[in-house]
Amino acid sequence: MNDMTQSNVDVGAAKVKMQAEGVQVYYGTTHALKDVSVNILDKVATAFIGPSGCGKSTFLRCLNRMNDTVASARVEGKITLEGQDIYDPKVDSVQLRAVVGMVFQKPNPFPKSIYDNVAYGPRIHGRTSSKAELDEIVETSLRKAALWNEAKDRLSAPGTGLSGGQQQRLCIARAIATNPQVLLMDEPCSALDPIATAQVEELIDELRHQFSVVIVTHSMQQAARVSQKTAFFHLGNLVEYGDTDQIFTNPRDPRTESYISGRIG
Amino acid sequence: MTDISAQPMPSQSAAASIMVGSKGMKKRHAAEARFKAYGVVAIVFSLGVLAFMLFTIFSDGISAFRQAQLTFPVTIDAAVVDPTGTRDRDTMAKVTTFSYAKVLNNSIVAALLAKGIPQEKVSDKELGEMVSKSAPAQVRNMVLADPSLVGETVTISVFANGRIDGYFKGRVTRDTASRDSNVSPAQLDLADTLRDAGILSLGWNSRFLTNSDSSDLRPETAGLGVAILGSLYLMFLVLVICVPIGVAASIYLEEFAPKNRWTDIIEVNISNLAAVPSIVFGILGLALFINFAGLPQSSAMVGALVISLMTLPTIIIASRSSIRAVPPSIRDAALGVGASKMQTVFHHVLPLAAPGILTGTILGLASALGETAPLLLIGMVAFVDNYPGAPIAGFFDPATALPVQVYSWASRSDPAFLERSSGAIIVLLVFLVIMNVTAIILRRKFERRW
Repeated sequence: MNDMTQSNVDVGAAKVKMQAEGVQVYYGTTHALKDVSVNILDKVATAFIGPSGCGKSTFLRCLNRMNDTVASARVEGKITLEGQDIYDPKVDSVQLRAVVGMVFQKPNPFPKSIYDNVAYGPRIHGRTSSKAELDEIVETSLRKAALWNEAKDRLSAPGTGLSGGQQQRLCIARAIATNPQVLLMDEPCSALDPIATAQVEELIDELRHQFSVVIVTHSMQQAARVSQKTAFFHLGNLVEYGDTDQIFTNPRDPRTESYISGRIG
Repeated sequence: MTDISAQPMPSQSAAASIMVGSKGMKKRHAAEARFKAYGVVAIVFSLGVLAFMLFTIFSDGISAFRQAQLTFPVTIDAAVVDPTGTRDRDTMAKVTTFSYAKVLNNSIVAALLAKGIPQEKVSDKELGEMVSKSAPAQVRNMVLADPSLVGETVTISVFANGRIDGYFKGRVTRDTASRDSNVSPAQLDLADTLRDAGILSLGWNSRFLTNSDSSDLRPETAGLGVAILGSLYLMFLVLVICVPIGVAASIYLEEFAPKNRWTDIIEVNISNLAAVPSIVFGILGLALFINFAGLPQSSAMVGALVISLMTLPTIIIASRSSIRAVPPSIRDAALGVGASKMQTVFHHVLPLAAPGILTGTILGLASALGETAPLLLIGMVAFVDNYPGAPIAGFFDPATALPVQVYSWASRSDPAFLERSSGAIIVLLVFLVIMNVTAIILRRKFERRW
């Protein structure tokens, strides 16, 4: 299984941003993720695909230690960010999450104004010293999230009053306002209509020029559209990891082939 | 088999028409109608009981806010109240209310004479007894506060005796008066005449809300002042004690505590505590706060500590359920941008849970306001004549509370106290309505959607 991770590191001149080695996750006695090793490349969109319950979301939540909030979860193995072990006792998971941002399946803006939603991260991390600086971060983040034109006149309106697609872009703006190095997206389009989905996908393609984007998706078409690297998970195993083109046109593992051709899943 | 499918059965085709209701349908509709009728009956019955309760309380109690008062000119005889003629407060203070009673007695006799009202069969002494026994003290306090009144004639209002008051409220009749050593039918006749003459009147009685309790002999002066202040002190202290502890405990249990056997035991016990009879807490408070800790009995502080023990479980249960009702996606969102657990709770979870916490707290306080049994055990049922002092020292002074006052008045023998007991219930209900309205307003104000 692990040979796949080694053979496909050469997407352009991309360097390795995060590295997972032999990651095992247990929920109580359930072995949810078995021996996963993946390299997440810098400035590349990586898609995790697989049937429900295959462990792709679990693995995503390991990358910013969101699994810490699940009492029964236990993570083994090693995950590094730029060579530093993120599960090292010296690492503060709170600080880590400012560097490895996350966007969730359901749009979950805070019940506050659009401005406060985006400004929350920079505020708690003390990134800014003045109101003007904060204003700029908010504007830049909203622009990057392609929401500025729609939101600039109503920054003090509640974020929960936006449409579903706008809310999800607001959540993306909130995540990138802390200036992350990696952005994790857990099925970000599953609650959106096709038009909003297209907007978010376009956004992902722009964002990946600035940092790594890791996206979990149920939709193989989406994975094919937005990602350069794809990992296929099945029953807690990482079955295959490689260039997206190769995975979809010439899968090496019969299980991958079965899944992308719709025979399993 | 085949012939059945070939020809449609007549009975089946008739039942299939949607224009004809089937027998089963009728039964189902009847069951539904019956169920609705039960509901309406239950609601009508409970509303009826509520209306009856309110009606009896108000018809009995509203008269406590009106009181028969005598208004007449009082000549403050210098020879009686200041025999030495020094006009010095300390010297004049040696003159007792007994002498002032004589002053009042002479004045009312003179007032009747001046108006040409015949005393009929009522002697001068009996005429004086128609004035409340509290009146001499009232005049004495007035004179001692302002010695220049000595020798003057001032028109003042004093309470009529409780029996005279009861006559105008229908509690005392000529029939009962003939068997009563405190009042005679002749006095009642004279009271009618005095009312026609404008000396006696029934007016708004603000002293019902400000006076302290009084002895069995003078129900007309009994008031709720000490009880209202005591209840306010209690509510304030319970709020100060319960809200920080209750909210902190619920936040810890919901957000931080590991879910294990110990927290399960704590959770079960909190629910059990909410169901413990309140009198048990009274015994606990007596043993713990008075006998062991040595806090002064009858004080608002001890009462508040005991009531806090009872209210805490309610507040914790309400707070926990409203914290639990905050969607987990909000916590994920905050943690996802790198907020710490503490920041997540205080920036996001708590503001969203606040309306529920506030409502639970105020409803807990409202039930605490009506709590009587534990207060009886820690001595708040005592006869308290003096107002408790100003905070903070006043929290340790003897006080009573509204529900306890209701209880102690209801157990007095004079029916005049029954009226005042109902009056106290009205005041208590007003307090409760204010608290519930506050709860609703606060909930509306803080309500947010997600």
